[in-house]
Amino acid sequence: MSHRKQKTSSPEARNRGKKRLRVVAVSATAASLIAAGGIALELPGAHATTSQSSSSSSGSTGTSSGTSGSTGSSGASSSSGASSSSGGGGGTGSAQSSSGLQSPGSAPASSSGGGQVTTGGS
Amino acid sequence: MMNIFSPNTLHSTLAMWYTSRATGVVSLVLMSLVVIIGLMVNRQGRLPGMPGFVVLGLHRYLSLLSITFLAVHIATAVLDSFVNISVAASVIPFVSAYEPLWLGLGTVAFDLMIAIIITSLLRAHLGRLTWKAVHWLAYASWPLAVVHSVYSSKDMQRGALLGVALACIAAVLIAMVWRFARALAEIPRARRVPELMADPDLLARAGHR
Repeated sequence: MSHRKQKTSSPEARNRGKKRLRVVAVSATAASLIAAGGIALELPGAHATTSQSSSSSSGSTGTSSGTSGSTGSSGASSSSGASSSSGGGGGTGSAQSSSGLQSPGSAPASSSGGGQVTTGGS
Repeated sequence: MMNIFSPNTLHSTLAMWYTSRATGVVSLVLMSLVVIIGLMVNRQGRLPGMPGFVVLGLHRYLSLLSITFLAVHIATAVLDSFVNISVAASVIPFVSAYEPLWLGLGTVAFDLMIAIIITSLLRAHLGRLTWKAVHWLAYASWPLAVVHSVYSSKDMQRGALLGVALACIAAVLIAMVWRFARALAEIPRARRVPELMADPDLLARAGHR
């Protein structure tokens, strides 16, 4: 059996311990918040570009969104319909199909930007 | 660059979705830390160089921090219109229309964590054995959370976040091996096999006294 030592820490030691705990707690909270922000911004699709349907760059946009969005089947691309109506053409369309970013639950609000391509997904 | 949080773009609707995913990752890391501290705390409730009450305080604080991030993770997933996750699916396993199995595992893990927290808050009113039995559910909750994290989203199936998931798993496994090695070391070698043969629960009890 173990021999437990009943250590009675002095008030100074307790204060030091409390202070250390507070520092660690604050650091952990700050680190967690920073990490969450950093992860959110670095998640695939977080830097997705938004293109207007009239712009000629929609093809390249589609390509890039396909690359970034290829990480998520669980996520969703907001506007597969938008891509088809955008006339952004094959680039966008192929990106959608390769990414597999379909929202299985609900279609995201895409009414405001019919010509916009959104990549998201996880 | 930060267009997902910009109100001027369609991407603003994605902010909750991204917040949910990011807070889920952070919550998993924090949960892993909580499990590691729980595993490494020895009989006196101490870690090397730390008084017992600091270790206990850290364990509790990180648990609450993890639960806070988990709450944000769940709330944003429910509020987000990007995928259809109902409020009921956040507490009732396997009823979600979206990824029912993997989300359901996360829901089970969440429910277990809630049980652990409630029994910990009511620890003074519960028997030690009851509290400990429920607290052991943490060992079931954590792997479920890991599986949920990895399979409900492709985020953690590749890249840096896969590394994060693997690091969490490796760290918890190392802590587990360390814990059991310590528990074994506390039984005199000559008596180890006979005692373990006679009482298979001895190892667990030795580690959790």
